[in-house]
Amino acid sequence: MFKLAILICAVALATALPAPVSAQNSNELEEIRKQIEALKDAYETRIQALEKRLKAAEDAANAAKTTAAETQSAQQAAAAASTASGAEPPQAAPAASQSAFNPAISLILDGRYANFSQDPARRSMTGFLSNADTSDALGKRGFSLGETELTMSANVDQLFFGQATLAVEPDDSIGVEEAFGQTTALGHGLTIKGGRFFSGIGYSNSVHAHAWDFADPSLVQRAFLGDNYSDDGVQLSWIAPLPVYVELGGELGRGVHPPGSDRDKNGAGSATLFAHVGDDIGTGGSYRVGLSTLRTSTDGNGTALVDIDDRTGTISPFVGDTRLYGVDFVYKWAPDGNPKYRNFKLIAEWFTARRDGTLIFDQSGALGLGATAEPFRLHQSGWYVQSVYQFHPEWRVGLRYDQLDEGSWDAGPVAAANGVTKPDFTPRRYSAMIDWNPSEFSRLRLQFNQDKSQLGLNDNQIFVQYVYSLGSHGAHKF
Amino acid sequence: MKLIFKFVIALAGALLTANGHAALSVFACEPEWAALVREIGGDKVSVYAATTALQDPHRIEARPSLIARMRSADLLICSGADLEVGWLPLLLQTSGNAKLQAGQPGNLMAADFVTRLEVPSSVDRSQGDVHPFGNPHVHLDPRNVLRVAQALSERLGKLDSSGAVYYQGRAKEFDARWRKAIADWEARAAPLKGMKLVPYHKDQAYLIHWLGLVEEVNIEPKPGIPPSAGHLTDLLVKLKEQPADAITRNAYQDPKAVEWLSERTKIPGVMLPYTVGGTPEAKDLFGLFDDTIARLLKAKKPV
Repeated sequence: MFKLAILICAVALATALPAPVSAQNSNELEEIRKQIEALKDAYETRIQALEKRLKAAEDAANAAKTTAAETQSAQQAAAAASTASGAEPPQAAPAASQSAFNPAISLILDGRYANFSQDPARRSMTGFLSNADTSDALGKRGFSLGETELTMSANVDQLFFGQATLAVEPDDSIGVEEAFGQTTALGHGLTIKGGRFFSGIGYSNSVHAHAWDFADPSLVQRAFLGDNYSDDGVQLSWIAPLPVYVELGGELGRGVHPPGSDRDKNGAGSATLFAHVGDDIGTGGSYRVGLSTLRTSTDGNGTALVDIDDRTGTISPFVGDTRLYGVDFVYKWAPDGNPKYRNFKLIAEWFTARRDGTLIFDQSGALGLGATAEPFRLHQSGWYVQSVYQFHPEWRVGLRYDQLDEGSWDAGPVAAANGVTKPDFTPRRYSAMIDWNPSEFSRLRLQFNQDKSQLGLNDNQIFVQYVYSLGSHGAHKF
Repeated sequence: MKLIFKFVIALAGALLTANGHAALSVFACEPEWAALVREIGGDKVSVYAATTALQDPHRIEARPSLIARMRSADLLICSGADLEVGWLPLLLQTSGNAKLQAGQPGNLMAADFVTRLEVPSSVDRSQGDVHPFGNPHVHLDPRNVLRVAQALSERLGKLDSSGAVYYQGRAKEFDARWRKAIADWEARAAPLKGMKLVPYHKDQAYLIHWLGLVEEVNIEPKPGIPPSAGHLTDLLVKLKEQPADAITRNAYQDPKAVEWLSERTKIPGVMLPYTVGGTPEAKDLFGLFDDTIARLLKAKKPV
């Protein structure tokens, strides 16, 4: 537009300026006039061409704005013509702008009101070495904001797909929850993923918080893996060429999160293996079972163990190896396999963890015994089972039962004499929830927990939660 | 672990040798495209239909069985235009099949080959689950099926060049039969022109457009949002003032709302096949349109 204006001004100037008075002879004057005429003609042609283009662009814009009915009748004519001639159908040209390549963006909004009968600041699972990182998984009492999740994903090119999920925590910090690239072109059932991602071990570990069926993670997930165990590393997965679903996979990572710890070393600090088998049962049901294992260590930096610290009043980090083994099972059912109106799902997971290393008892010397490094072995397990029934397109109800087994403790004499002993207690929790889903993009949930995971305490917990998903339509895993 | 691996390899080997007869393996998202693949591909292809006529193609779980089937397919054929956006991207991402990724010859989206209706000029989720690329239920205009058939035969020929002539021959033969059938359907459906329908969802748009029917209103207040009791009451008042000729639904849609409205308005409730297998009569693509027209004719002039 601006160029056009300059052009018009130039032509106007050229034609309006009087011929130089100092011209010596009429021939020269005539020559100049001719040149100006030629210039004028040339510009006029160009202006006309530009005006034509402008008109065409305006027409196209107007055409795009016509009502649906008009578009339909035009398409009807076009379709009829194209059927008759058998020619290629006319296709609407995609928006030819850079924004057409923008990644798919989705934003998750999550907030809640929580009511706890016990002080959440002192929450731990008695006998379980939940890490300081995960002890606030339930959030605060009263109104609070959950994680605000921003996910962007797109194909990078013909070989890779990329995705990043940034989580803005309610305390205004931003975390990179996931950021990875993965192959799309390897074929043979192979996919390699690299970056930061939720590990493929277990079932619910790789499910983002907004897609959980309950407001909080299972106790065993919290005790052994945190909300979601993620790592910086690579993942290889292979789908077998069978009519039955068989997936084998493994990961190598930095091992930065508990039960591991950050390290300054070449090589990998954690390794996982997992196998999944799944299929349909009849027309309405389908299942997936999985086996998985994780091996990592705390390297030189110990991890703080909330429960031991709480009970003994000391700071006693654990340094050593953790091996985790798990079995997971998912079954989903819907009448005729059509989940829109009614569906049912059952999820169960069992994990066992073996910790083998050293407990640096009373590292700060608060008890006056001096820091004591003693061998420490622990073998514990836990499981949960949950089911959700959608009885109406908009309503779901769910029940969950959690249990942890304190297993066997093998602490050194100093630590054992000062309270690092098996507490003889089985943490349990009962949960019930109902949620309303007016569309695929919003969920309002009411949940009640009776949490008996702390010795001698019964914590009645009520959550009222909303989860909204804005933007692109995300696909949820099975 | 090693033992499992050996077992899987052995099983895979056994399976690969047993599955040698069909040249191409096709993964069809919906039954209508599976039926079209059978028409064009004949016995040179084996086709797996990911969904049945009793399942809403918008809402499918990305089940393990679907990942397994997609893993070994040579061609993927779906409606496209975001109909399968809730499950297909996940299957493509996890199945590790390079041949089916977007842009590859093994990826065929029917909606790319037809003129889509109801392409919105702007989208907002307050309008319900709208599709930014237009209405994706393209197969209900048989003239669209013709175009997809052409594209499919070319694609099959590209993927299996030794069978190109065979696919072309079958496509040509299908084309002739289908054009004759279209003429026949249009003649039979002539009395339906101007018939006022109340479909459950906006999935009859192409049929309505083809046969010159009229979509009065939908049972769903917004696309993908199930009707509430209040909405049905409003609809009842509206339909009593401005009666329609038929209230329609597909096999996978809730019959209760249609029955409730039909009973009170005396407007016939009709179950349309929507896709192959949706009614006992809709055994193949020809049966789908035969039966759709027959059911609408019956509703228009009750015997």
